[in-house]
Amino acid sequence: MSYKRQRIRDPLHNLIEFPADHFHDAIWRVIQTSHFQRLRRIKQLGFSEMVYPGATHSRFAHSLGVFNTARKLMEVVERHLERTSDWDTTQSQIALTAALVHDLGHGPYSHAFEDVGRRLNLSLAKHEKVTEALVRDGELSEALKTLGSGFASDVADVIANPSSARIYGAVVSSQFDADRLDYMQRDRLMTGTYHGVIDFDWLLSNLEVGRVSVGSDEEQAGEIETFVLGAKAIHAAETYLLGLFQLYATVYFHKATRGAEKLFTELLTRVIDLSMNGDGAKTGLGENHPILQFASHPDDLKRTLALDDAVIAGGLVMMSLSTDSVIADFSSRLRNRRLFKCIDVREVLSQKLRAKFGKVGKPKAAKRSNAAMEAGKSTRVKMKKMDALDRACDSTEKRLLEFTEEVNRYFPRVLLDKGERSIYKRIEESKGPLNQIMILPSSGDDLPVDVASISQVVNAIAPFKFLRVYLEEGEQKAKQRIEDILDEEAKKCRL
Amino acid sequence: MPALTDRLRAEKAADIVRHAGGKVVGKTRLQKMAYLLEITGLGAGFPFEYRHYGPYSEELADGIAGAYFWDLMSEEEHTANWGGAYSVFRASSTAGSARVNPARREILTLASKANPISLELAATAAFLAKENSRDPWAETSRRKPEKAEKYLDDAKILYSKLREIKTPKKMPAI
Repeated sequence: MSYKRQRIRDPLHNLIEFPADHFHDAIWRVIQTSHFQRLRRIKQLGFSEMVYPGATHSRFAHSLGVFNTARKLMEVVERHLERTSDWDTTQSQIALTAALVHDLGHGPYSHAFEDVGRRLNLSLAKHEKVTEALVRDGELSEALKTLGSGFASDVADVIANPSSARIYGAVVSSQFDADRLDYMQRDRLMTGTYHGVIDFDWLLSNLEVGRVSVGSDEEQAGEIETFVLGAKAIHAAETYLLGLFQLYATVYFHKATRGAEKLFTELLTRVIDLSMNGDGAKTGLGENHPILQFASHPDDLKRTLALDDAVIAGGLVMMSLSTDSVIADFSSRLRNRRLFKCIDVREVLSQKLRAKFGKVGKPKAAKRSNAAMEAGKSTRVKMKKMDALDRACDSTEKRLLEFTEEVNRYFPRVLLDKGERSIYKRIEESKGPLNQIMILPSSGDDLPVDVASISQVVNAIAPFKFLRVYLEEGEQKAKQRIEDILDEEAKKCRL
Repeated sequence: MPALTDRLRAEKAADIVRHAGGKVVGKTRLQKMAYLLEITGLGAGFPFEYRHYGPYSEELADGIAGAYFWDLMSEEEHTANWGGAYSVFRASSTAGSARVNPARREILTLASKANPISLELAATAAFLAKENSRDPWAETSRRKPEKAEKYLDDAKILYSKLREIKTPKKMPAI
């Protein structure tokens, strides 16, 4: 059987090549499926293009980039396993395919749609669930059949549980997985920001496979292999972590982007909710519109897949003619980028407290933990105590929640948003070396150590937090009330 | 079942700690406790999905964060001797916990004393059984070889003990 070599131009990787072989032939067929092509209609950064006009890149381009990056990471795995004659080509191909299709299940505006799902308890709004269903059955598994009858199912298993694929799974999910290495570089390039530059080639050149301990809670289970970095990459690791951290602060958590997401969540929740309650005609959309079709059968995979960014954006003009005032107003706002005004509550409180105390103060517990680490103590106890600013924000948020409940009874006039990002990826359950960047010591056969234990830079970084309120530009009374709450909370605050 | 509101999620998360005697060691343990309550008909409605440590509920994780916010619970983070970190949760109050459903209390007591890895394996096997796995224990071993090698037998004993508790819904027979 003869195969054809294929090539795609990419703004980040330049040429992404698909050699003329059996595996890449199947991969090329996966790319041609309607499910993969759908990713052209889902933007990687959702509403970020309202702030960074260049950031219109799709999950299609990102997924191809992830595949290309995964192949480079897999070369590291291959070099390591060939030494022990443990290399398994099929396992590597399963993981590479998982890297390619990992984003298939994303809904319109990705994470904002998942917020709608959480509010309305829509199980297919979770992209992981949709991805798994798509890979296990249908067009995609058909395209992968030439690689073996159980291949598609193995790919779905790796997506659901990358650690079951041993070191091959680290390519799909770890601190140095292909997804993150692509999106960090691609999002930076397409937004045009100079934050988040990483030394990718140096990182890759120093990437190795090492053994790290794993456990659950206080109990050690054993050791597994994962990616670790050589000692000479310590500064590149710091840049990598800082870069990601800054992308969160400046791109992913940008106040205007989040403001648009808030409007979108309110809008779509309202449309689906009305439709579910038999009032679809009020939404402005025709009964065959994919959003209403989805609302009538939210557990139907086909109807879920009919939704994408283009469908929503195209529906805004009809929704702006809705007889429901929230739908008419919010759709028109999104269409014309007339976003609610933002009050950065945390920043305002920070300024007020600085004016009052001269400084806001670092949490005492954090000082203790750093000191303990410097002293080389093996055990530390970190009480999750808060500094004055955190306390003021919490207290303010409680009052703002009461206020929004009162003022939003008939119309969502005031929208609250908060978030946080630590230098490491959000920890789900037990923390351990798989969630961390592990660095090999420069001397001897010592085990890899957490970058935070040897990097003053990483260790010093406090989480980025925000608490914001969005409100209509004409809401003078609400604005005054919020300002009064902020004044009162700042006055009340003690060091 | 309708989605829980933020405040209710926080209260339900703190309730698990409260009903377990006021203290729970480990995030993994807390997640698995909540999962066992859900499948035995004693839970609050937290939805679970499969993640790295087995059944996991993002809504519960949000509830835990909310429980700090509403001062219903506190958390201390400790370093484990294997290099990871683990949390100790303490409920701000144990008021009313005497009136808790006895089966719920029994499950929580057993789970809070269990080895966390055995508990993780037992909850994982239960989850896989619910997902119609043909051999949940074999599948658990395949997914978590580094843990199953030493702890699978203990997990099976723990599972039998949990299953003996009279609950509104019986745990799957595996």
